[in-house]
Amino acid sequence: MRRLSLLRLCSLALRQLLRDVRASEVRVLFFALLVAVAASTAIGYFGARLNGAMQLRASEFLGADLVLQGSSAATDPQLSAGTELGLRHARVVEFTSVVGTDAGIQLSSIKAADAAYPLRGELRSAAAPFAEERPGSSPAPGEAWVEPRLLVALGLAMGDSIDVGMKSLRISRVLTYEPDRANNFYSLTPRVLINFDDLQATGVIQPGSRVTYRDLWRGEAETLSRYRQTVEPTLAANQSLRDTRDGNRQIGGALGKAERYLNMASLVAVLLAGVAVALSASRYAARRLDASALLRCLGLSRRQALGLYCVQLAALGLVAALAGAVIGWLAQLGLFRLLDGLMPSTIPPGGLTPALAGIATGLVALAGFALPPLAALGRVPPLRVLRRDLLPVPASSWLVYGTALFALGLIMWRLSLDLLLTFALLAGGLIAALLLGGLLLLGLRSLRRLLAGAPLTWRLGLGQLLRHPLAAAGQALAFGLILLAMGLVALLRAELLDNWQAQLPKDAPNHFALNILPDDREPFAQRLREANAISAPLYPVIPGRLTHINDEPVRQLVSKESTGERAVQRDLSLTWAADLPQGNALVSGEWWQAAPASDGIPGVSVETELAASLHLKLGDLLNFDIAGQQRQARVSSLRSVHWDSFQPNFYMIFQPGTLQGLPTTYLTSFYLAPGHDQEVVALSRAFPAATILQVDALLEQLRSILAQVTLAVEYVLLFVLAAGLAVLFAGLQATLDERIRQGALLRALGAGRPLLVRARRIEFGLLGAASGVLAAVGCELISWALYRYAFDLQWSPHPWLLLLPLIGALLVGGAGVFGTRRALNASPLTVLREG
Amino acid sequence: MDQSILVAQNLSKVVPSTEGDLTILHALDLDLAKGDSLAIVGASGSGKSTLLGLLAGLDRPSAGNVILAGQDLGPLDEDQRARVRAEHVGFVFQSFQLLDSLNALENVMLPLELDGRRDAREVARSLLERVGLGQRLTHTPRQLSGGEQQRVAIARAFAAQPAVLFADEPTGNLDSHTGERISDLLFELNKERGTTLVLVTHDERLAKRCRRLIRLDAGRLVAPLEP
Repeated sequence: MRRLSLLRLCSLALRQLLRDVRASEVRVLFFALLVAVAASTAIGYFGARLNGAMQLRASEFLGADLVLQGSSAATDPQLSAGTELGLRHARVVEFTSVVGTDAGIQLSSIKAADAAYPLRGELRSAAAPFAEERPGSSPAPGEAWVEPRLLVALGLAMGDSIDVGMKSLRISRVLTYEPDRANNFYSLTPRVLINFDDLQATGVIQPGSRVTYRDLWRGEAETLSRYRQTVEPTLAANQSLRDTRDGNRQIGGALGKAERYLNMASLVAVLLAGVAVALSASRYAARRLDASALLRCLGLSRRQALGLYCVQLAALGLVAALAGAVIGWLAQLGLFRLLDGLMPSTIPPGGLTPALAGIATGLVALAGFALPPLAALGRVPPLRVLRRDLLPVPASSWLVYGTALFALGLIMWRLSLDLLLTFALLAGGLIAALLLGGLLLLGLRSLRRLLAGAPLTWRLGLGQLLRHPLAAAGQALAFGLILLAMGLVALLRAELLDNWQAQLPKDAPNHFALNILPDDREPFAQRLREANAISAPLYPVIPGRLTHINDEPVRQLVSKESTGERAVQRDLSLTWAADLPQGNALVSGEWWQAAPASDGIPGVSVETELAASLHLKLGDLLNFDIAGQQRQARVSSLRSVHWDSFQPNFYMIFQPGTLQGLPTTYLTSFYLAPGHDQEVVALSRAFPAATILQVDALLEQLRSILAQVTLAVEYVLLFVLAAGLAVLFAGLQATLDERIRQGALLRALGAGRPLLVRARRIEFGLLGAASGVLAAVGCELISWALYRYAFDLQWSPHPWLLLLPLIGALLVGGAGVFGTRRALNASPLTVLREG
Repeated sequence: MDQSILVAQNLSKVVPSTEGDLTILHALDLDLAKGDSLAIVGASGSGKSTLLGLLAGLDRPSAGNVILAGQDLGPLDEDQRARVRAEHVGFVFQSFQLLDSLNALENVMLPLELDGRRDAREVARSLLERVGLGQRLTHTPRQLSGGEQQRVAIARAFAAQPAVLFADEPTGNLDSHTGERISDLLFELNKERGTTLVLVTHDERLAKRCRRLIRLDAGRLVAPLEP
């Protein structure tokens, strides 16, 4: 036996495993692992693919997956790097220029784009103002697509010609939608879209012209990231890379939240499955103590005995993990099929990574949770063959819990990649387990005294719990964890989505009106009131650029790729207001009083994120270049802004009366009930200079993204539930032998089935209720920590969590009776067979 | 025959196996009068425990009937048979079979409570005193020795004053001295309470204390020994 080779050990192990396939604990262990791997694979795939799909949507707002943007043209190496990688490419050049006709001139925002533009999303245009929109295509050489307000401003009709620089172009269509316009609502000037090939002929672009070059790229995420790596070091100071996350604040925020949610849910599923693995592994080990002692007796070394069982478990784990990965993959396929109408037609496949990660997660969970109980098999004293009461020396509890916690931490870290979230969950779980477990233990002990006079069913039910108070506390904690997970998922699902939905109320503004001339301000507001529109105030807007902070040029002060960097690269929309706008909250400093500051320098209130990115603090002196004039302002307050509100929001708000004498237009947003398109048309006609943007389309897109997220969340909840049930049944399996013996004995003594069922109901009902109490308390603790530190949301108590004890009693009670039905139906003959 | 408490007629048990049906018990007849005692002996695998299980209504025969306390067990379902057991039957097992979650007193109270008796506590207490465990009422099975556990089991078996007491190797897990004392206790109580005793044992000395003895070999009655 000493010369037992590894090969023979493995073959012995596999033979034993095949014999053991029918053993209930092996099956439960297998299924626990299956659920763990299937859940994390499915969630992994689902998350990755959903993320991909949402990125796809978000890319529409960018017109591409990645944009290289700069005030000078991209260099040839920068361009060839992309084309060599096989990325699709489109070129866009934007600049402001005068458009002329015989009748007059109009400053316009020209966009020259090649035929490939846009790479994501579609242009929409109409044959005439307010005619039916048609998606697709782009202006041919010699043609121009223009916004209707240019027609109004210059008194043009379709088919007329305009001059852009030296090139004459025929107006062929009215431009109604550009996918990447969402970033740039606040354009004072009407848009003219021309073909890239005509750009040269216009002769407008000369050295020193203010031009934005945008090179649009589209391709696989991996290729894009390779491109990013290649190009990033070559970027000049005036160049930057923008991706979907920068593309749109709202989408970016929703993506971030969805990702966090999905990761947290898969974390919870894996955590639960880990508990199931631990429970069934310890039963697996306990049932093999005799066999291990016998093998030791026959001369197997400790290491060989341990190895024998490790090989069995590893083989079992591998098969379960592979099967789980396949099931997980199928599950997510099924879901995407269900969501067919809602999802974009092409969903990125997700690759092999989620499956491999799922398998790895399962194996790590197996190692972390099953190895500690398994180690006992190596330590069984051979004398156990003669004295069955001899148990192996227990492993140090530090080792047992340390291994499990380490595995858990590892999985959590991989899943969430968010140490803060991981730590909050781990620490919250641990503290809750210790505190609540201790309390529960005390409670159970004091129940013992109350028990003496209780009826038989209560004594039987409670007796089972009280016989091993530690195990009962452990079980209550395990079930508590499931309820906690479910409660937490439900709570976060409800609240996070409510929050998102609340950000988009039914009457969220569905129109933006820009470029309202000062003289039109009152009449415009009057027309809105007459049309029963729900309108935000009209804010003055002056485009201006931040040039200096405390007399230092701002470009030297900001880091690349920051909000601040983008803010100083383009004109900011500056405004002034006497009162703090709705949806804004003062974070520090004071809102101004009526009189200007004593030193004559007006105050400016800065949005906090921008302030942080620019390292601004109260009292800093800012210089602005506004229409060629220099203005100074002192930071007098910092504001947080609710960006997702679809209200006009501003980075910089000046003290009233400080931007006088500068060319100003006004902007507002308003909600007009659907079916009032005629009023919008009338409004456009009455105020030809104003731009009215319909944001319904954008809102619709956001809503459909939210609908996807909601479905994803509910689907993920199902996996958590499956994992929870796996734990429940694994826990029941652990006590099944004893229950079968007890059930058989009681039946032999003449107890009827109803009595056994009642006793079980009491036992599991109590266990479930106790778990529910633990879960409710734990849920509040963790939700508080998550809200405060991870999601940055306002926390308030959740009285409905008091339902958890009831739900726990029903769920655990029902499942408990179901899971132990073998004990209820045990033949009383069993007692004779045993004895 | 009007004194019969336990009757078996043409009792057979057949179980399916991989090599076809296996007959464990062959057409066995038995008639036991009230207050009588019967020992069933035989080698391991001869069908002793199977017979005991059938007689006590723990299992159903493949053919034949069992009439226990005047009731034919054949047409009864498991819950109905449980009721018959609760009313008329007591058990003593080789491995004691006490419920670990209950203490000694509660274990003895169990059959009384299943029978709906209100005086369960008092009866159980006096029985435990009778078997010499008056000082160990609140001890759980784990805190008792093997002999003590079997005495609790005997007290439990007699608690509901069963008409028939079935004992399966009652001294099998005990040393000879303790076993002797346990069998003394069993026969004393049997005599005191006029219970009918059916005993399965390997122990010839214990078997000889019964008034009647049957020997099984491969499921057949080989030596019906009428005293």
